Amino acid sequence: MPRYNVEIDGREYDILLEYRSERFFATVNGTSFEVQHQPLGESRALLFIGHESLEVDVHSATGNGERTIFMKGIELPATIEEYAVAQMRKAAGISHHHAADNVLKAPMPGLVITLRVAPGDRVAKGTPLVVIEAMKMENIIKARADGIVKSIAVKPGQSVEKSDLLLEFE
Amino acid sequence: MAAPPGLKSGYAKEMTHTIRKILIANRGEIAVRVARGCRDLGIRSVAVYSEADRIAFHVRMADDAICIGPAPSNQSYLVHDAIIQAAKISGADAIHPGYGFLSENAEFARRCQDEGLIFIGPKPETIALLGDKLAARETAVKAKLPLVQGSDTDTSDLKQAIAAARKIGFPILVKAAAGGGGKGMRVVHSEDQFEESIRSAASEAKSAFGDSRVYLEKYLARPRHVEIQILCDQHGTCLYLGERECSIQRRHQKVVEESPSPIMTPELRTRMGSAAVEIARRSGYVGAGTVEFLVDEQRDFFFLEVNTRLQVEHPVTEMVTGIDLVREQIAIAEGRKLTLRQEDIQLRGHAIECRIYAEDPDNNFMPSTGTLNAYVIPAGPGVRVDSGVVAGSEIPIYYDPMIAKLVVWGTNRAEAVTRMKRALEEYRVSGVETTIGFHRVIMDNEKFLAGELSTRFLDEEYPDNVYRRVSDVVRERAALAVAIDKYVRERKISVSPPQQATRSNWAAWHRHGNLRSFKGSR
Repeated sequence: MPRYNVEIDGREYDILLEYRSERFFATVNGTSFEVQHQPLGESRALLFIGHESLEVDVHSATGNGERTIFMKGIELPATIEEYAVAQMRKAAGISHHHAADNVLKAPMPGLVITLRVAPGDRVAKGTPLVVIEAMKMENIIKARADGIVKSIAVKPGQSVEKSDLLLEFE
Repeated sequence: MAAPPGLKSGYAKEMTHTIRKILIANRGEIAVRVARGCRDLGIRSVAVYSEADRIAFHVRMADDAICIGPAPSNQSYLVHDAIIQAAKISGADAIHPGYGFLSENAEFARRCQDEGLIFIGPKPETIALLGDKLAARETAVKAKLPLVQGSDTDTSDLKQAIAAARKIGFPILVKAAAGGGGKGMRVVHSEDQFEESIRSAASEAKSAFGDSRVYLEKYLARPRHVEIQILCDQHGTCLYLGERECSIQRRHQKVVEESPSPIMTPELRTRMGSAAVEIARRSGYVGAGTVEFLVDEQRDFFFLEVNTRLQVEHPVTEMVTGIDLVREQIAIAEGRKLTLRQEDIQLRGHAIECRIYAEDPDNNFMPSTGTLNAYVIPAGPGVRVDSGVVAGSEIPIYYDPMIAKLVVWGTNRAEAVTRMKRALEEYRVSGVETTIGFHRVIMDNEKFLAGELSTRFLDEEYPDNVYRRVSDVVRERAALAVAIDKYVRERKISVSPPQQATRSNWAAWHRHGNLRSFKGSR
């Protein structure tokens, strides 16, 4: 029976799924649900959780376990892994955000206006790193966590596309 | 179609000219809103578009569409010649500028006049007078409006500025004379930051407006932003259409607006409305406009500025007054007399607007670009959505990231808030980040619900800039949805369409031959 580990907002969900007679019999952290899944095309689906109807839109941007869920007018980032993989990763003491946090990518296409840091700089969470102009506004991209700048991949005046590498941390 | 010669030298009195075709010199939701207004009146509309907007929604909503240049707005939507030429080619007799872009450009308004085109807005002299914040302050003084204590002169000269600042006392606001949109504006808390702030504000003003003049204003701690909608015809009638409270702002830009203001009383409304009408008369105002005020904790109000155009948030006024402002703008531009009188203006119920931006609120409102994979707007009783996009639209990097305005009406404020929550839940957007979730959080905020607002609202209520509030139940449902999604994708299970246990009535009806008549008509 498939078993997944889902993380949302730092909370973990241990989910067991069984599929029979076109229904999912799910257990989420020990609570049971009966769910019917009706695809609505592309990434959208209508779930019937018991008698509750819920429209969801699940996007995977990167191909690995990163997901974005749109439901009830809100948007939530999530990470999903096979339960066994998550257990091994945790036993090794690795946070799955680890790899992603070592690089900073452009959150949107735009023009690099200024660099506020240099290689070797120690930065705290919230430190301004790069200023990118897009939609006629200057957007200050800040550090998501404490770290040390290893290298910078862009120069002021350079145009960047979404997800282009801006800088790397040690 | 040539305009009557009388229109060349200003608006002719007692003369009307029926507008038959309007060029809309804008893009996005406001261009769509004006195009709809034109259709409602049987007037033909012309869209202009940049190369990035070839298949944009506003292009689809107009009768004619003309490309006016490359994507950057200084090569398209801001080019006077290109727009005038498009008007000539399409045979438009009037130009509606929307908001932003050329809407408050006196030179462009004058050019329209010179070319025999009706500019749907105030006279060029009025735009020039009120667009200069120092001149507008002078006009307000003459109109005996209360003003926030300030320097009232160009304080680009540092010595003079410091003397003025000491007289006013810190904290102080440095503002650009040609300013707007928060550009060239600085809050200065003490004298040691003053010199640097004046310099940087002046340099920002120079690059944004080509005018480095700045002036000083006392910085009010927790003001409300309350503005009065005015409507003036060419024959001396000037009305006020109630107020809008627009205190919830980020980066000096409004994000939530409502009418009436939770603090308004009929007596205060009459005083503020009369003040707004007075400055409109003094400046020879014609058309729709907005007089902005700050209101302090003692409910004393102070003149801020006049916006000589249709505002983004005009729908809240339309919803509580029942007056179509674009229709009135066009009628006024045609030279017609206002048929409304001040006593006809009655506010009914409560309206709220949430601006839907393609931005990530949790990441300092960073603009988000991309393609709208899914886009379903809310509907139903008391809901109006002025949207500039449709499913499949691209959000380009070149323009303002506001994609739509969600406006609701209720018989009172509480009902409007509940309806707004319902409408926000119905909104389905994917492909870009939006402010929908942010608005859901605001609609649940206790201070907001109590009507306790100020322009510092977001800073005070959300000092960590985190606007996501998710309940445990919603989070658990989301986790379940992600797990099922993975299962369905990887195992490629196909789901048969929902089936009823019994034979459907439709099928039985079909079998009885009741559809034969339809078949024949194909």
